[in-house]
Amino acid sequence: MTAEIIDGKAFAAKVREKVAVHVARLKADHDIQPGLAVVLVGEDPASQVYVRSKGKMTTEVGMNSYEHKLDVGTSEADLLALITQLNNDPSVHGILVQLPLPDHLNEDLVINSIDPAKDVDGFHISNVGLLATGQKSMVPCTPLGCLMMLRNHHGSLSGLDAVVIGRSNIVGKPMAALLLGDSCTVTIAHSRTKDLPDVVRRADIVVAAVGRAEMVPGDWIKKGATVIDVGINRIDAPERGEGKTRLVGDVDFATASQVAGAITPVPGGVGPMTIACLLANTVTACSRANGLVEPEGLTV
Amino acid sequence: MILAKSKGCSKAMNAPRAAVIDGRAIAAKLRAEVAAEAKELVAAGWKPSLMSISVGDAAAAEIYVRNQRKQAESTGVSYESRNYPAEISLEQLVGVIQGLNADPNVNGIIIQRPLPPHIPVKALQKAVHPLKDVEGMHPASIGNIVYNDLALGPCTAVASVEILKSLPLKMEGLDVTVIGHSEIVGKPIAFLLMGLGATVTVCHHMTRSVAMHSRAADAVFVAVGKPGLVTGDMLKPGAALIDIGINRIETPDGPRTVGDADFDSCAEVAGWITPVPGGVGPVTVATLMKNAVLATRMQMDHYRESYTIPAE
Repeated sequence: MTAEIIDGKAFAAKVREKVAVHVARLKADHDIQPGLAVVLVGEDPASQVYVRSKGKMTTEVGMNSYEHKLDVGTSEADLLALITQLNNDPSVHGILVQLPLPDHLNEDLVINSIDPAKDVDGFHISNVGLLATGQKSMVPCTPLGCLMMLRNHHGSLSGLDAVVIGRSNIVGKPMAALLLGDSCTVTIAHSRTKDLPDVVRRADIVVAAVGRAEMVPGDWIKKGATVIDVGINRIDAPERGEGKTRLVGDVDFATASQVAGAITPVPGGVGPMTIACLLANTVTACSRANGLVEPEGLTV
Repeated sequence: MILAKSKGCSKAMNAPRAAVIDGRAIAAKLRAEVAAEAKELVAAGWKPSLMSISVGDAAAAEIYVRNQRKQAESTGVSYESRNYPAEISLEQLVGVIQGLNADPNVNGIIIQRPLPPHIPVKALQKAVHPLKDVEGMHPASIGNIVYNDLALGPCTAVASVEILKSLPLKMEGLDVTVIGHSEIVGKPIAFLLMGLGATVTVCHHMTRSVAMHSRAADAVFVAVGKPGLVTGDMLKPGAALIDIGINRIETPDGPRTVGDADFDSCAEVAGWITPVPGGVGPVTVATLMKNAVLATRMQMDHYRESYTIPAE
């Protein structure tokens, strides 16, 4: 049996299309233009690349993109003042502070100063608590993307056994909460789990988010299970020439794809979904802020 | 670990295998810790104090208020209760809570249930300042638990986990099954246990085979509200069973309070079991007092951090 490959790139494009349709409708019916503000402090090259591509995709779906690039030495007070200004700005529906922040800035304090309703990253402590207890919240982008792919593949997830490997704050824990919300029986496994292969073998859905290259082999996967691989690990690839590297997930794709029913590749699986979900969250936040119906299929 | 004395079972062969966990004794130990902590806080000029809010029919909440007051007084925590008329608006009540948030003589706010239909409990819980949230119901309090920052947690969930921690079991890698995924009990328990390093599985009414998961577990928590839901054959021999259910049932001998577990069959298989009543219940009220002193200390620290002028 060979698994169906879940094409994250194509699916992300569909999500962005849906966002664009909803944005157009907001403009046509209500004269509202959703806006996303991205705050970047300092000149970390990787962060600059992210921010640029977020800005580009934001305008591509028809939303306003506001970029705030601050000097690396920006004081906490100045950054908090900017966030307050964005919190109070009715044309800004989503605020994203690009992490990591320079060392002299308190990340928790900064994130928790964002209005939870505009917290499109879903990292505000109140959003964390709301999601964990199954209440309406802003949902972190990566797990939201995984959930969308699972819903798209299965239809209903109700009653399925799901195992999340990894208990990180940004993926594992919110993922577990989302799967519970969709009525899966959820197990959260991690580095302390006693018999990980056995736990994974029980699962109809496996979400791997640990950051260890190819740690889940095919013989851990139940036949026909759906495998979502969140890991992105760079490993040496001498077969491509000296000094070459390639990206792999937390799952050994070659063996797992022989057993699974469906699997996401790395790259091209979960990765492209993250920015698409950021845009989805912004249009959701905009709809909520204006007391309008939430866009269908773009949030939980 | 604190265990009850054997319940006078004369025939050794019929004796339950499980040790019955004495919630009242655990609660008494917890209260002694709270009393010591309260004494320290009083000496520092910060006497812990709780404020209870009830709306409408005061009699409905009276039994909780009386019990809480008794426990507060026995641990050196002051306790005041206020009742507001059923006609009060949500806005007025939120205003009351904002006043209490700003009142330095109040360290913890308790919102008694039931509330009139026009007062959604979540709106009030969200209005309580997270530092005064002794019931652990503010979204930020739950968020902190998810992030392993064990500050103020929902009392029943925290109490249940404290009971498990009192047993001679290593939390890291422990296989735990939680049956029931309610907002205030099942889900917070799952995140608390995850933070302690357990491998947690959460089951609920859509789970295909609860028994398959509960039989694989070293510890089982059940909080569903269905008497007899967990039976002995659903447990791994020697497992710990924490029963959070409280159900009133009719028996030929009159009404009785039972949990979600079939106590007799579970006691034959489990290694440890909490009785109902006398298990999780008493520890829950003691946890509220523990939260009161925790909240007071957090406020004291916050005050000192905010208003101490650093030395030149």
